[in-house]
Amino acid sequence: MKKKLLSVLLCGAMVAGCLTGCGSKSEANTEAPAADEAAEEAADTTDDAAADTEEEAPAADTASAVDNLIANTSGTVTLRVWAGEEDQEVTQTLIDGFKEKYPEVTFDITVGVESESTAKDTILTDVEAAADVFTIADDQVNDLVNAGALQEVSATYTFDVKSENSEGSIAAASIGDKLYAYPMTADNGYFMFYDASVFSEEDVASLDTMIEKAKAANKKIGFQAPSGWYLESFFGAAGCTCVLNQETGVNECDWNSANGVAAAQALSDYFATGVFVNMQDAEMATGITDGSVCAAVNGVWNAQTAADAWGENYRAAKLPTVKIGGEDKQLRSVIGCKLIGVNPHSQFVGWAMLLAEHLTNIESQVYRFEQRGYGPSNIAAASTDEVLANPAVAALAAQSQFGNLQRVGANFWSPTETLGSVLAESPSADEIQGILDTAVEGITAPVEESAE
Amino acid sequence: MGKDVKQMTSGTKERPAIIKFFTDFFDAIVKGDLAVKLSLVFMGAGYFARKQIIKGIIMMITEVVFILTCIVFAAPNLAKFGTLGTVQYEQIFDPLTMQTTVDDYDNSFMILLYSVIAIFFIFVFVLLYIHNMKEVYRLQLLSEQGKHVNTFREDIKDMFGKKFHITLLTLPTLGVVLMNILPIMVLVFVAFTNYDQNHMPPNALFTWVGLKNFKSLFSNSMTSTFSYSFGKVLGWTIIWAVFATFTTFIGGILLAMLINNKTTKWPKMWRTLFIIAIAVPQFVTLLLVRNFFADSGIVNTICSNIGLTGFLKNIGLVSGEYIPFLTSPGWAKVMIIIINIWVGVPYQMLIATGVLMNIPTDQIESARIDGANKFQIFGHITMPYILFIQGPALITDFVKNINNFNVIYLLTQDMYFTNDQLLANSHAKEVDLLVTWLFRLTNEYYNYKMASVIGIIVFIICAAFTIISFSKLIKGDREEAYQ
Repeated sequence: MKKKLLSVLLCGAMVAGCLTGCGSKSEANTEAPAADEAAEEAADTTDDAAADTEEEAPAADTASAVDNLIANTSGTVTLRVWAGEEDQEVTQTLIDGFKEKYPEVTFDITVGVESESTAKDTILTDVEAAADVFTIADDQVNDLVNAGALQEVSATYTFDVKSENSEGSIAAASIGDKLYAYPMTADNGYFMFYDASVFSEEDVASLDTMIEKAKAANKKIGFQAPSGWYLESFFGAAGCTCVLNQETGVNECDWNSANGVAAAQALSDYFATGVFVNMQDAEMATGITDGSVCAAVNGVWNAQTAADAWGENYRAAKLPTVKIGGEDKQLRSVIGCKLIGVNPHSQFVGWAMLLAEHLTNIESQVYRFEQRGYGPSNIAAASTDEVLANPAVAALAAQSQFGNLQRVGANFWSPTETLGSVLAESPSADEIQGILDTAVEGITAPVEESAE
Repeated sequence: MGKDVKQMTSGTKERPAIIKFFTDFFDAIVKGDLAVKLSLVFMGAGYFARKQIIKGIIMMITEVVFILTCIVFAAPNLAKFGTLGTVQYEQIFDPLTMQTTVDDYDNSFMILLYSVIAIFFIFVFVLLYIHNMKEVYRLQLLSEQGKHVNTFREDIKDMFGKKFHITLLTLPTLGVVLMNILPIMVLVFVAFTNYDQNHMPPNALFTWVGLKNFKSLFSNSMTSTFSYSFGKVLGWTIIWAVFATFTTFIGGILLAMLINNKTTKWPKMWRTLFIIAIAVPQFVTLLLVRNFFADSGIVNTICSNIGLTGFLKNIGLVSGEYIPFLTSPGWAKVMIIIINIWVGVPYQMLIATGVLMNIPTDQIESARIDGANKFQIFGHITMPYILFIQGPALITDFVKNINNFNVIYLLTQDMYFTNDQLLANSHAKEVDLLVTWLFRLTNEYYNYKMASVIGIIVFIICAAFTIISFSKLIKGDREEAYQ
């Protein structure tokens, strides 16, 4: 037992050393380094780590770590990858590239269909039976880490994940200062698209102006209220927060504070206009197609519908400002990223990590943008002209400075869903405090009741 | 009744089967000779003494296998059964070798599962052991009386002759045990643990918490609205089950009679059309219907075009600009029952057609001669006959509807948002049945402990209902009562 403890401590020190090494190095090198440079950098990192752990660990750099891995791998490396149904081909092509990169090793890599949005549910059903490498949305990181379903990215081998990807995407893939996944795209948040025949570019700066114009045109603005994810825009704008306390596992939420009441009041007032309307994704798509909706708060997944329906009048922009308690506030958004995670129960964790790195490196992100139009999280890939010319991705980039990270526990979702649904019916002003109190009670309910 | 009488007449000496089972065992030990007594330790001994070598070897092997499994499998798991494991999962990744090392951790769920299997395994072995003692004693008696002792070949022959029923029943019994009894036992045990998203194996341990989960289901506390939600959901589950069962039942009979009516033209075509409705997978139909009745769906468009929405708005049934078919609690509940009629009636029609075709025509003939009109015939002959034949099926339907996951889930998922915040705080909705609530708790919130508790309650409700109604409906002399 003592021996085990010792080895745990030693390895812990090694990992910690590695992390600090990464941190200091990444600042010095913000430009996208060439592959060699990255390897060198990572090499330094592990040298530090080796120094920290004294003579226990053999002094080796990351390049030799990969070489070691190749040398130590005999037989077939079997990996299962989960990707969204629409991304199967792209993923397959990228995996073929990975196989070519390591010709010495026999791989048996299969790609299965599992949408990012539902990956968590499938993984948590049986962590040990889940794929080795999977795509997830960043709001699942919390639960997956709690269940031990994400391998910590304690070292990188082919490029420096932390410095090459945007800060927001790294934050979205981390818990505290530990990185748990590899950012793949940075376009999973929401923004606004609108019909330029109704609004001018100045109009879309303020929701009040937009409502006037839309009313005049007898059209509607769509917003999905029964969702804690979209509600964050108003409550975040009012300065309210809702965060999961990692220690207690309970959400801490101040949406029922005076600011929260003001935000809820504002939202309810906007719904009362009859122009700002609560609608689901599918309804919004129908509305956009038949012309009854002229602007919508939504994500890239519906952007194509709007682009098709509005043609050259299609525009995307950051969210407008709203009046909360008489003041103009910028609506916030939730930073949304798609990430690639590695299953710690994988038989070939090393190879799974290398594959995850390969699937999220700059070339892969550029390729994914070219093929599928996904906004890259890689800083260098995101600043190319082609990417900036994409209106949806550009709007997301503009919105990202008003982006919040949503790190909440499972009990957040049902109460906020109902909260949005209730607020969409514009309850009377004196009820709002009570509604928010009940919602917060549900949000902050512990998963397990303490013994009484 | 009959059974009691039989027991009384067959003498007071006969004891209940369970006690007899054990007394025979002790008789065998006391009265058995050396070989039989040796069988207490070496299970095959009794057979060897009677020259049943193969059977003896089989028994010895069984015993050895049992002891080995106990040591290797049962004992380690049962030892941890009290705590469900104490060693937390720890995993270390070595960035240099790119390998992970994992400690020898406990997986609470596996411990629970294996313990249940082990307990069951031991139980079966004890039964076999007792049976074995009685068997070798029987062999001793046979040989003492100079009767023929079966050879192994003859025993095998028996398995396909005199004892064929045992051979036949082995496989189904095994299936029931593996597929039903063991999982149910695990489920029951989980209800007494804290298995939830904070305690998910393999990375975390869960442990026993006694009756806490049942308490939180039946008592409202500051932080939990489970008991409020449970009451609401249970109420709707019962209402739904009653309506869903009887509407489709009566609808099916009426439809069958309509099609069977002599004045109906092309009855076969109509019947086929309804069977086609069955042939389309239910979830396809339901998802389509869900889209039809969406707030911006085709039905709402039609209603607003013909002015129905405006009319309903005027009389106060609708407040918005659309009819909230599946989005407001009252409307949704009615719609779900109506849609279910549409989905469920064809099945009932098929069954009712079969029953109607078999109604003894002599009764209907004589009733007609006596001057009964169609309604009297229906009320006094057809309906009682159908009820008599379909009674058990009706009960099964009721239980099935209590657990009718498809219709409710497919019609309301992602569509229906509750405005009742207390329900939302325990992840329930007005239109949820116990089983859909259970599904959401396990599948979206990993709250296995509460789901197990609800599962047990559903089981108790269904079992109680089935037992009561079966004992009322199918008393031995029902057939005469009908005549």
